[in-house]
Amino acid sequence: MEHTDTGRLKFYLTSIKQVFSFFFSLGKQARKTKAFYLLSFLPVLISFVIKFALIFSEHRDIQGIYIFTNIIMAFYLQFLILVLALFFGTSVCSEEVEGKNLTYLVTRPIPKMSIILGKYAAYTLLTIFMTVVGVVISFVILNLGDLLDFSLYKILLKDIAVLSLGLMCYMAFFTFFGTFLKKSIMFGLIFSFGWENVIQYFPGSTQRFAIAHYLKSLLPAPTTGRFAFLIFRLEPTSPAMSVFMLFLITVVFLALACLLFSYKEYILED
Amino acid sequence: MNPVIQTDKLSKWYGNVLGLSDVSIKIEAGITGLLGPNGAGKSTFMKLMTGQLKPNIGKVLIQGEKVRNNSKLFSRMGYCPEYDVFYDELTGWQFITGMLKLYHFSSPDVEKKARKAMEIVELMQDKDRVIRSYSRGMRQRLKFAQAIAHEPEILLLDEPLNGLDPLGRRKLIQLIKTYRDEGKSIIVSSHVLPEIEVLTNKIVLIHQGKIFAQGDIHYIRDLIENHPHMISIICSNRRKLASKFIKEEYVLKVEFGKVKNRVTIETNDRDKFFSSLPSILMNNDIEVEEITSPDDNLQAVFDYIIGK
Repeated sequence: MEHTDTGRLKFYLTSIKQVFSFFFSLGKQARKTKAFYLLSFLPVLISFVIKFALIFSEHRDIQGIYIFTNIIMAFYLQFLILVLALFFGTSVCSEEVEGKNLTYLVTRPIPKMSIILGKYAAYTLLTIFMTVVGVVISFVILNLGDLLDFSLYKILLKDIAVLSLGLMCYMAFFTFFGTFLKKSIMFGLIFSFGWENVIQYFPGSTQRFAIAHYLKSLLPAPTTGRFAFLIFRLEPTSPAMSVFMLFLITVVFLALACLLFSYKEYILED
Repeated sequence: MNPVIQTDKLSKWYGNVLGLSDVSIKIEAGITGLLGPNGAGKSTFMKLMTGQLKPNIGKVLIQGEKVRNNSKLFSRMGYCPEYDVFYDELTGWQFITGMLKLYHFSSPDVEKKARKAMEIVELMQDKDRVIRSYSRGMRQRLKFAQAIAHEPEILLLDEPLNGLDPLGRRKLIQLIKTYRDEGKSIIVSSHVLPEIEVLTNKIVLIHQGKIFAQGDIHYIRDLIENHPHMISIICSNRRKLASKFIKEEYVLKVEFGKVKNRVTIETNDRDKFFSSLPSILMNNDIEVEEITSPDDNLQAVFDYIIGK
């Protein structure tokens, strides 16, 4: 019995790995990925412009890490990871249905859940890579004079970890909605730029219904500066609980996506 | 012989639209042609057989096993979909190997099987081109390659000859026949009768979601025995021949048409007609050049049965 269970687990894991490797390789070549790479390099351009402007401005004393943190807050956390997760997450299922390529996947000897998990993993890794490259380059540009200050790297690593967690969680959420809804992008836009941006500022427990709340709870709150309001929160959740919640949301939505994908009937329209 | 595919009261609706209704059939090894006009329900049937759709009523069994969510069954099945869709950014080789990897083959096996499949469909030279740049015929061949690459026992081919040039069509037909000779079970759907006719005489006629008839061409012929039957004769004296037949009760219509010396006779009793024909010809000294039965092919059978 144990042997059978081990064999089954191995079969599932191998299936996920094969789907992952297929879609990771496909994702790297996709036009969509190239377009989003450009978008993810926007903060690099902004960082470059700011750095250049600072050289000729009176505010040369402004620290690069301060600007970097604000870019993480304003651009990456509030915009980029949401957009990437929205477009890649919903497409885990919907691009297969709309492109009718689903027919090739569901007629292979792999469990349906492995299609969702493998593709989710491939796209999550791709989006993390896209994000991290931009973050690192922005960090280097903005902290050119302080690159030997190793304490800054701790901030960088923490930011990368939080953004990766955010991508993992949002991707799982949108993967589920991609398997569930036909017009998942519309729903995702309302959720990302409506719900997430509003609910996190509600007092009391309500703010805990936003994924952004847990992500921001993991980052230090800037007390001053133009973007301080973006991190404003009444009751931050503890870091351990935040990480737990982010993992829980990921697992729950991925499990729902797998379940739905396995039993839902997708009719490929002519 | 155990049926390879068995359906019992299989029915499928898309909302209020009927896809397939009450289909109970048994399909055995060899080539079976699934024949019907566009929108008849062939693709719905194919999708139900490959577990892509859930039946509303009834069940489908492949080699005695249920299909839907039975992923292991797919290592024994190959499916060529009707849609002309691919992961266009991939090369033909990446597509075939990528699909083969999903069968859990080792890397050398994937390479070997992909090479074999690409050679069979004669795409080896173009294997490194992106699929987007393939012609319609090449795409069709690639679709076929992905269905056969893992050497399945059962092949389900949904309109496999679409988009192929005559040469490609002939090669693919030959290939399908080779698979039949190897003892594989093949189900080919088509709305083009001559395509099915050259592949097999074991057919399933499907129209408006229902199976109109199943069996070989002779069985189908028996089914329509009471329907009018056309016999066309080119002879030395068509008017004389026509005058002899017009008196007979089993003759419904006589037509001369445009072709010189040809007379077409419609009868509701084929046997009586052919038993009296030799004596009429001999007694009246009529020489016959050709006797054909314009409706003795699948098109006619099909038209009769669906009442066109």
